[in-house]
Amino acid sequence: MGRLIEEIYVWRLPVRLYHWINAICTVILLLTGVYIAAPLLNPPLGEAVWFKQMAWFRYVHFAVAFIFIANFLFRMYWALFGKDKYGRFGGFRPWSPAWWGQPFREQVESYLFLRSDEPNYVGHNPVAALAHFLFIFCGSSFMILSGLAMYGENNPGGFSSILTGWMIPLFGGSYTLHFAHHLMAWIFPVYLVVHLYAVFRHDIVDRTSVTSSIVTGYKHKVEEEPV
Amino acid sequence: MQSNQTFADLFKARGVSRRDFLKFCSLTSVYLGLSPSMVPSIVNAMENKPRTPVLWLHGQECTCCSESFIRSSHPSIEDLLFNMISLDYDDVLSAAAGHQLEAVRKNIMKDYKGKYILAVEGNVSTKDDGVYCMVGGDSFLNIIRETAADAAAVIAWGACASFGCVQNAHPNPSGAKPIDEVISGKPIVKVPGCPPISEVMTGVVTHFHTFGTLPDLDRFGRPKAFYNTRIHDKCYRRAFFDAGMFVRSFDDDATRKGWCLYKMGCKGPTTYNSCSKIQWNEGTSFPIGSGHPCIGCSEPNFWDRGPFYKRLAEVPFLGSDSNADKIGMIAVGAAAAGAAAHAAVTAVKKTKEEKHEKE
Repeated sequence: MGRLIEEIYVWRLPVRLYHWINAICTVILLLTGVYIAAPLLNPPLGEAVWFKQMAWFRYVHFAVAFIFIANFLFRMYWALFGKDKYGRFGGFRPWSPAWWGQPFREQVESYLFLRSDEPNYVGHNPVAALAHFLFIFCGSSFMILSGLAMYGENNPGGFSSILTGWMIPLFGGSYTLHFAHHLMAWIFPVYLVVHLYAVFRHDIVDRTSVTSSIVTGYKHKVEEEPV
Repeated sequence: MQSNQTFADLFKARGVSRRDFLKFCSLTSVYLGLSPSMVPSIVNAMENKPRTPVLWLHGQECTCCSESFIRSSHPSIEDLLFNMISLDYDDVLSAAAGHQLEAVRKNIMKDYKGKYILAVEGNVSTKDDGVYCMVGGDSFLNIIRETAADAAAVIAWGACASFGCVQNAHPNPSGAKPIDEVISGKPIVKVPGCPPISEVMTGVVTHFHTFGTLPDLDRFGRPKAFYNTRIHDKCYRRAFFDAGMFVRSFDDDATRKGWCLYKMGCKGPTTYNSCSKIQWNEGTSFPIGSGHPCIGCSEPNFWDRGPFYKRLAEVPFLGSDSNADKIGMIAVGAAAAGAAAHAAVTAVKKTKEEKHEKE
């Protein structure tokens, strides 16, 4: 085992809080959302007026969705205005050709086993930043906008209907928007698989304790020693 | 043709008492979703405004809108056709035919330039200059453009004229287009449905006649008075939905008990219409009331939105039909397989490196 040579405080409390609230919300939203689309439970016995089975799943979905949105907005605030080197949008510039240059290429090559060394980043590496932008930023934004548009259908002319109702004609109707929302939800489990794999692999290969860093906030540098 | 007669004159001439006339006005205001304070406006319009001439064109369609229209009960079809609107041209209902009828259309366009309502049932074939729909020796494409040019407003009856309906469903062999894609610069109100509810149709005409303007429209150009809420939100089976009591097949016990048809593919939760409020045929029933799931006929392109009897629409995916969940599970499986393969390669590479270092 290599000796611990440095301890770096990478994920500050707001980032860690966001991460775990987001993770829990996403799982609940996915489970309740799939249930709403395909209610599998047996019908309760008795009069309909006694029960709120389907309504309960929808209620949980909506309530958690609002926590998810608040959490997302909080993270956007932190990314734009927080004084946090590793939690800011600062380094992510996909519009500039320079961003796609050497570091990005090296990281892709490393993931494809085209080079022997593993580039090491304290924060997110460029490929991870791109994945987070596509899956988490774009994915969450779409789910929030389409979700609010459908939520606004309960109350035509209401706040959420005016704010996001334009999504419905954009997608050619309420049904198509429901379908797009449902299909897009699946990017989150896909992301989860890739995310967990990448975290565990980096922890094993780089030994930076990245797995526990999202709980403790600390990453480590380990002295290389011949085996 | 006495087009300058008012509704009130006609009611009087037909022996309808003023009391009944006012009842009619109140009933109309209820159907339009107006407050009681608007009843005097309707009475005033009915008493003082001359009847609005209506030219009713038929394109590529099945006449189900006309069938629905002639079943209107409040007001009845007899009153509608002979007393209310001045329906001057309608190739399905007119007694005249051929050149005589075409001459009437041309005359109205000239005499009431910029004042008549153009009502269109059916959509427009545009492929090969519109030869797939010919009326009176000319393509419907030409006729609708010519007639729309001097109209005060255009009403699109039914799913065909509003969104295209079955004629422009995939693969759309005749190049059928809804009317708002072939005429421009005219206010268009869409009254979709396959067919629309008769009281909705007469309600829209009465609104225009009363106020001289089109009703408030939603984002799809449908009158808010009738298309502002979903079937689902006013459905009498909503309690079964909230309780989680669903019909699972058309011959089960739940069907006989009248439970929610959500799992049978009911499109009520995504369909904006008045079926669950006004209902059909003098409020007799509506599809869900008769035990059939809503097929969403007042929504754009409802024929291409997957099977009518399935909740999750199937999408063509890699040559076979699949639904959102199947695609998602395949994607998750692929991601997991990719991660496993990547892990295996990493392990092999590490082992090799360690061996190399030892040597």
